[in-house]
Amino acid sequence: MKLTRKQLLGGAAAGALGAAGIYELVDQLAESPPRAEAGELREEQYLLSGAKVLTHEDVEVIEPPLHHQVVTARLGFEPTRRALLDAQRALEDAIVSIERRYEPSPAGLAVTLAWGLPYFRRVVPDLAARHIPVDRRASTSADRPVSALLDAIRFPSDPETTLLEENQLALLLRSDHREHVADAAQSLFADTDGLFELTSIRKGFQGGGFSGGPGLPKAMATAAGIQGADLIPDGAQLFLGFTSTQRDTQGQSRIASFETLGLVDMREGYFRGGTHMHLSHLFENVEAWYLDFDYRERVDTTFRPGFQAREGAQTLPQAPEDAASQADLEADFAQHGSIGHSGSIQPTSRLQLDIRGADGELYTKGSAIPLRADFNTLDNPFFWSADPERDRQSEQPEAGLHFITFNPSSDDFRRNRLAMDGRLPDGTTFPMQQRSRAQGLNSVLRTTHRQNFLVPPRAHRSFPLVELLG
Amino acid sequence: MRTALLIVALALVAGGCSLGDDGVEEAASARERPAACPAAWKPGWQGLANDVGIRVYCPSWMPSPIDAEIDGQWNSGGVVVGKDKSYLAGFLWHEAGSGDVHVNFRAYPGKTAIPRCIETRTSGGTTRRIEVPCFSDPQGTRQVGDRTVTVYTVSRDADQWHVTYVWRENGTLYTVSEHVAPPLTFRTVLKNLDRIVGGLEAIEPQA
Repeated sequence: MKLTRKQLLGGAAAGALGAAGIYELVDQLAESPPRAEAGELREEQYLLSGAKVLTHEDVEVIEPPLHHQVVTARLGFEPTRRALLDAQRALEDAIVSIERRYEPSPAGLAVTLAWGLPYFRRVVPDLAARHIPVDRRASTSADRPVSALLDAIRFPSDPETTLLEENQLALLLRSDHREHVADAAQSLFADTDGLFELTSIRKGFQGGGFSGGPGLPKAMATAAGIQGADLIPDGAQLFLGFTSTQRDTQGQSRIASFETLGLVDMREGYFRGGTHMHLSHLFENVEAWYLDFDYRERVDTTFRPGFQAREGAQTLPQAPEDAASQADLEADFAQHGSIGHSGSIQPTSRLQLDIRGADGELYTKGSAIPLRADFNTLDNPFFWSADPERDRQSEQPEAGLHFITFNPSSDDFRRNRLAMDGRLPDGTTFPMQQRSRAQGLNSVLRTTHRQNFLVPPRAHRSFPLVELLG
Repeated sequence: MRTALLIVALALVAGGCSLGDDGVEEAASARERPAACPAAWKPGWQGLANDVGIRVYCPSWMPSPIDAEIDGQWNSGGVVVGKDKSYLAGFLWHEAGSGDVHVNFRAYPGKTAIPRCIETRTSGGTTRRIEVPCFSDPQGTRQVGDRTVTVYTVSRDADQWHVTYVWRENGTLYTVSEHVAPPLTFRTVLKNLDRIVGGLEAIEPQA
C-alpha cells in the first residue's frame, strides 16, 4: 500500500508525540519533587495547581514541572457547522478522558488549550469579532479598537529570519512524569483522529537542581554535547544560570486573566477566565554567555546594572518594592549605557499602583502581571516539524528556550518585550545597537518563531465560539 | 539519530565526565612530561627572556597547526613588550569559515594581582571606558604537573573568548590562554592548555 504524504506525516507525528528522544534522560537525572495537594479543576485552564513553593538562596521560588510539551496544529477537516460541533464534542471528550486519568497538578498533568488568530479568522470570524476582548489601553493609544489578540510581530532585537507562525491550535502539557505527557498527547490526538494536522511538536524540561547536584540544564546540555555546557553552574534552573520562577516574578492568582485588572473590555464575557499566551522559541548561545560575560556582567544584564548579588548566587530577589521604575531605567542608561533584562521590563510588567482585581483580590503595587511557563529545550528548533524546511529543522541538539508567557493581552506582552529592547510605552527609547554585546542578554538570544494565542476558560476550551454558530 | 545521541549522552554521564571538585576536569596528558622547548623556537624565547629580564616559559608542544616560534609564521603580530616589561606572545591560525587556533603567553614581572583591562563600550552615542579585570570568573585551581594554576573562563583584550590558566611565581603573574572557537571546544581547550602548561620549559635571562 502506498502512503500519501499526509499519511506519512501523520504517522511520523504520531510517533513523535510519545517519543522521548534525549528527554528520556530527564527522568534519569532528576527526581520528581514532592508536590502540594492538587486542587480542583479551575476555570482558568492556564493556571497550574499544586506547584511546590520552596525557598532557594533565601528567595521563594515556584518549582515548575519537569516535563513540558507543546503541540501545534491546524484543522484537518472542512469546518462546516455540523463538523465543528462534532469536533468540539470529540475534543472535549478526549480532554475530559485525560483529566479523569490524571489529577490537575505537576504530579499528574496540566492541560492547556490555546487558539491562534488563524482559527478565529477561518472558523468563527464574525463571532470572534464580537467576543474576543478588546484591549482598552491599546485602543486608547491607537485611537481605535484593538483586539486583545493580535498577530505576533518581530521585535527590534529579533533577527529578520524570525518566523511569525500561523497555527490554529496550541496544546500545552506539563507534568513531572514524561509518561503522563506522552500518554495525553498520544491519546488526545488518537481520540480526535482526523480533526487536526499537527504542525510541530516541542519538548523540554525545567529545573531539577534546587535539591543539589548539577541540575537538569547542565546535565542535559552536557549529555547533548552543547558548546559551553561545562560552564553552566551546578544547580542552575536554566541554561543561562539564573532562576526565573521567583514567586515575585510570577503573576499571582488570576492577575493574568483577561478580566482581572480591567485592562480589557470583556464584551459579552464569553472569554472571562481566559488569557493571552505568547509562544516563541529562541536559541541561547551558552558558550558566548559564559565566555564573554563574567558573573558581574551576567547579573548586570539579566537584572539591573549594579544589582546586588553574592558571587555565584543563582536565585536573586525580585521583590515588588524593589521593582525598577522608568526613572530607574533612565538613570541606569545615563550612568552605564545599558539596562538590565528584568529591570527593563518591570516598569511595564509590574503594577504601578495597588489594584483590587475583578476576582476580589488586592494586587499590590510592584506585583508581576505576566505568568511565565517557559522551559529549556534541546530541540532545534522543534522536536518534530511538519515543515522541516521552513522551520529549519535539525536533528543536532541546540540549547534553547520554548518561551511561554500568559498576559492579559497581546499588547501587554508587546509592551514588555519592546521594553526589553529599550523601547518604553511612552516613546522613550534607549538607543542600543540590537543584539550587540552592549545589549547583554539579548546578544546571546536568537528568536526563531513567534505566535500569539488566546487561552479560553475551561468551559470554552474546545473549539471556542463554535456552539454559537447560527 | 536521537537513539545514537542518547547512547553517547548516557555514556558521557555514566563516565563521570564532569569538572570535578577543583572545577576543572583532570587530563591525563598533563602528567606526561613532553620534550623540552624545540631548538628552532628556543632563540626567540631566549631573546624574550633577555629583553624582559625574568624567567619566561617556552612550550614544548602547541596545538596543530600552530607552533610557538617567535617571529615564525604563526606569530600573531610579533611579541609585544610593555614599558613595565610585561609581554604578550601570541600564536594564531585563522581560516575564514573554519575557525581559528589561538594561544597567548603573558607575564607581568613584579606583579601578582590580576591586571586591569580597559573596555570600551559605546551606547546611545556615548563611549565609556570601563576598567575591568583582564581575567575573571575563576573556576577553581588545578594541578598541572608541579604547577598549581587557576582557571579563568572570562578573558579580555587579546585573550577575549579564551580560557586562561594563571599562576604566580617569584613575584610574577604568568598566563597561558587559548581561544574557545571552532574547531575547538571548551573541553579540547582545557586539554590543550593542560598539555601546553604541563610541558613548559623555563628559559632564564642571560646577561
